[in-house]
Amino acid sequence: MYFIDATNFERFLKKLSAQGELFVPVRNAESGKLRLERVENFPLPENLALDGYRTVEPLKTFAQLLRCPVAGYPSTEGDEMPDEKTFPATVIVGARGCDLAALALVDKVETEGEFTDPFYKIRRERMILIGADCGECGASCFCNLLGGKPWPEKGCDISIAKIQGGYLAEAASERGEKLVKESRDLFAETRDAQVKMRDDARGAVVRKLEEQNRSFPKVDAKLTEIVRAALQDEAWDDISARCVECGACTNICPTCYCFLLYDQRADGSHFQRIFTWDSCQVTGYARMAGMLNPRPRLTDRVKHRYYHKYDYLVQSHGAVFCTGCGRCIDTCSAGIDMREALRTIQKTAKAAKV
Amino acid sequence: MKNPYYPIETVVEDVIVETPTIKTFVLAPSRPIKFKAGQFMQLTVPGYGEAPFTPSSSPSVAEKMEITILRTGKITDALHALKPGAEVGLRGPFGKGYPMEKLEGKEALVVGGGVGLAPLRSLIYALLENPKKYKRVSIKYGARSPEELCFKRQYDGWSKAAPNVDFTNTIDVPAAGWTGRVGLVTTLLDGLDIDLDNSIAVSCGPEIMLKFVTLKLLEVGYKPPQIYLSMNRKMSCGMGKCGRCNVGHYYLCVDGPDMCYDKIKHVPNVFG
Repeated sequence: MYFIDATNFERFLKKLSAQGELFVPVRNAESGKLRLERVENFPLPENLALDGYRTVEPLKTFAQLLRCPVAGYPSTEGDEMPDEKTFPATVIVGARGCDLAALALVDKVETEGEFTDPFYKIRRERMILIGADCGECGASCFCNLLGGKPWPEKGCDISIAKIQGGYLAEAASERGEKLVKESRDLFAETRDAQVKMRDDARGAVVRKLEEQNRSFPKVDAKLTEIVRAALQDEAWDDISARCVECGACTNICPTCYCFLLYDQRADGSHFQRIFTWDSCQVTGYARMAGMLNPRPRLTDRVKHRYYHKYDYLVQSHGAVFCTGCGRCIDTCSAGIDMREALRTIQKTAKAAKV
Repeated sequence: MKNPYYPIETVVEDVIVETPTIKTFVLAPSRPIKFKAGQFMQLTVPGYGEAPFTPSSSPSVAEKMEITILRTGKITDALHALKPGAEVGLRGPFGKGYPMEKLEGKEALVVGGGVGLAPLRSLIYALLENPKKYKRVSIKYGARSPEELCFKRQYDGWSKAAPNVDFTNTIDVPAAGWTGRVGLVTTLLDGLDIDLDNSIAVSCGPEIMLKFVTLKLLEVGYKPPQIYLSMNRKMSCGMGKCGRCNVGHYYLCVDGPDMCYDKIKHVPNVFG
């Protein structure tokens, strides 16, 4: 572990920016929320924020673009992928624990098994990730309920924690080690007091998370069993009653990966195939020709989102696809809170047993 | 690296009118496409987009592929307007296909409804290529009306293919000039003379038909693990990534589209 002061950290990022488009979290003065901003010129923006908690946008937006062409046809290149170098390389600073964990989950879907999405894989491999400790938690944060920590446990190249005067930094991958080595002169040895500072800060955030989420159920194997058994439960009708079917929760979710392909005319006799995010919450998502729809009711669609995350993907990919980032809670204009929904299901399950 | 979203250039060599609503497209892809019976393709109509279809031709032929399509929506409207020589695109094959190994040595009961006979024809070609591998092949088919019977010209050939192959069909409601059976396809499952313990049933057709065929098969004594159904869901990527074709935790595009009923029987509204 190393200590790097703010000046040297800026120098380090400047060096890293030669490897790809550099994004750093900045704080919006009005809302206090963080978002990722592209840094094209130094110095770093004054509102750089490596304290605070996760940004508004999830990391998936860098690997699975909201909308992009994936094929032009007919083409003389046929089905050969474009050169990897035509894809942007990115350096993303300040990835939080929940988002790194979420990206690892999407990786499973996109790059494991029989098929790999080469567009995702290439963008993903060209991402350098600098993780960061959360300096606080938001009211909607609930990583602790999923066994997560408010700091990067894995999935990044270098992990940093903001402390007085600079950052504690740790290489977290082979690539990270190489990057630190190449700029070794910028990094100093750490003192025990600095590590203690970080650990105290971590402890404080964990306590706050536990405090604010103490009335909600922990997401463990038992809870996923309860959810599985509650498939026909009428409680879902209440949970979905307020939903306005806007799809914001799926768009902002760091683990939602669903998409749709559609074709459009490019010019004359050439066509483009476009990849775009899609939401299982909207009516047309699973509707087939002849207006057949396996989930015609809103309740079925809201329920589907929970089942996909807390049951289906546990069965198919061995993991709950939620890391407790709380974005869906912040974004929901109807005020639906995933934690409350899970508590409701847990309670009705208990009531049913009595 | 290959781009899995790119449609392989394909020429429509011929268009066969099967019924007033169903056409078979004889396709010549720019490179051979090997598939197993029951696997599906994403067929592109340039500018309109893609839709999933299971080939109706023999899986032993990779140079050409036939796809039999009911006109029922935006893309199939565009398809039905195509003439020989038209250019389309193909991606695939996707999915697992029919449980061919499980059918070996068994009495195969093939139950089709309407255009559902299209994917099953691919299976029938595969079964009849070597009928001795199966104890019996019994094909039951139902359509709405005599005009809507698909692949009429082949029924005789199937019946006579081998001593252990039989074909029976029916139409839903009486029609002038029709002397054959009348009644839903499920009526063909009444009084089955089949070795139940030694049989596998495979069915394809509209969802409502799959539901009643399943109920009937259970009633006559089939167990859920013996029933395979060609399930329908909207599909886009074909690779288990876009998310929409789920039945419970399965994605039909990689785990199906033919699903063993035992695996999906607990899913609410499994038949829509």
